[in-house]
Amino acid sequence: MSVKYSPVQWTRSKIFYDIVLALMVVSYILIYIRVSPQFLDHARLADDAIVRARAFGTCAFFMLTVILCIGPLARLDRRFLPLLYNRRHFGVLTFFVALTHMLYVLDWYFNFSPIPRLEAMLSANTSYGHVLGFPFETLGVLSLLALAILAATSHDFWLRFLTAPVWKSLHYLLYAAYALLVGHVALGSLQSENNPTFAIVVGASVLLVCGLHIAAAWREHRLAAPGAREDTWYLAGDLKDFEEGRAKIVNFGNGRRAAVFLYGGKLSAISNACAHQNGPLGEGRITGSCVTCPWHGFEYRLEDGRSPEPFTERVPTYNLRLDGTSVLVNAVANPPGTFVQPLEVAEQVV
Amino acid sequence: MTAAATIVWIATLWIYAGSAVAVVFLLIGIDRIDADARGSYTFRPLLVPGIILLWPLVLFRWLQLESGVDPNRSRDRAIRSAHGWVWALLAILIPALFISAMLLRQTPPDGEPAVQLSTRQD
Repeated sequence: MSVKYSPVQWTRSKIFYDIVLALMVVSYILIYIRVSPQFLDHARLADDAIVRARAFGTCAFFMLTVILCIGPLARLDRRFLPLLYNRRHFGVLTFFVALTHMLYVLDWYFNFSPIPRLEAMLSANTSYGHVLGFPFETLGVLSLLALAILAATSHDFWLRFLTAPVWKSLHYLLYAAYALLVGHVALGSLQSENNPTFAIVVGASVLLVCGLHIAAAWREHRLAAPGAREDTWYLAGDLKDFEEGRAKIVNFGNGRRAAVFLYGGKLSAISNACAHQNGPLGEGRITGSCVTCPWHGFEYRLEDGRSPEPFTERVPTYNLRLDGTSVLVNAVANPPGTFVQPLEVAEQVV
Repeated sequence: MTAAATIVWIATLWIYAGSAVAVVFLLIGIDRIDADARGSYTFRPLLVPGIILLWPLVLFRWLQLESGVDPNRSRDRAIRSAHGWVWALLAILIPALFISAMLLRQTPPDGEPAVQLSTRQD
């Protein structure tokens, strides 16, 4: 949070996570190198250097697939949240695995070129008008470039420097990287493999990633259906529909959402977007009078939207009023950190 | 100069310019615009690749923060508001790309020499 920067913020769980991750990557690469020459039947014989390049390439593909599954899984089922908290290291490692793949390819196919190796790769095939024989290497380079931007801007400094909306928009490049990578694999390696196993696995991973993201987006849309409008006041719901310790999310339709919490017989509303990475505060856990962001554990007091001292993060608050048993929230946000007297509803709720 | 040579040349210039920006920003700029960076030095080398890749954006934000024009209002905007339609599009595009590539796949016949596509007469 708002403390001096360090190169990497290690915790016991992050170290454990990273060790497991590194072991899985090393195991995959060793097993692939040992097993694939007998198992995967390429149209042309693959020698050791090509097998090593493909080991790192396929590993990067599967790592990116897993990374893309973690976000929607965590939104669909809270048990996946611990995977989300450490996703940054996963992403950086994926970039280095993909980079190793590219270096193997450059070393093997373009090492004796009279021109620079990258230039040789980009000029070796320029049939951009053909589907068959499409220069799939370019798709791989663009995907790697996107991964490089994501890895290079993964430190907390960038979040603060660029602001969360800009940083998160930049990190939408992950989706472009995946689309480019699917193109790279489908128009490249899969064109020469006679064994259908890898093609089936890639197809299944594409379906999994797309299916999970559509399911998560649909769930969010269902949870945040816009309330009935009355001037600037939006319906958050009826009192009887609120659950103690949970929030209802109100979508104002302008990119902003409020999370209206019932806690200890009181109602308070703050922005649904965490000041850190705009995580969904409305899905967070309440401890006392604070909510904890489900993404990275940032805490905010519900009456004023401020992080407890010594932290300095703030989110906007919203005014609430009762109309009979209907809870209405004003769409005009108060400046971040503004105190709003909680609405006492203990008697009505009982 | 070929298109590939031009791309590599531009990339090289970009890296040189980014390196210069990184030196100036990490030695002078960062302390002026981020209080949490003052007195912290070990994390700064980690920022070098990002500054090299995004140096125009770094200069823009540096200028913005120096001039006090920080668009704080946008900080609470729900960034995932675009997620739904982005994936509605990608869920069509990515499978279409994969299926097209598999349907158009050319299986090389055993024993036949490879045919150069650019000179093939269909």
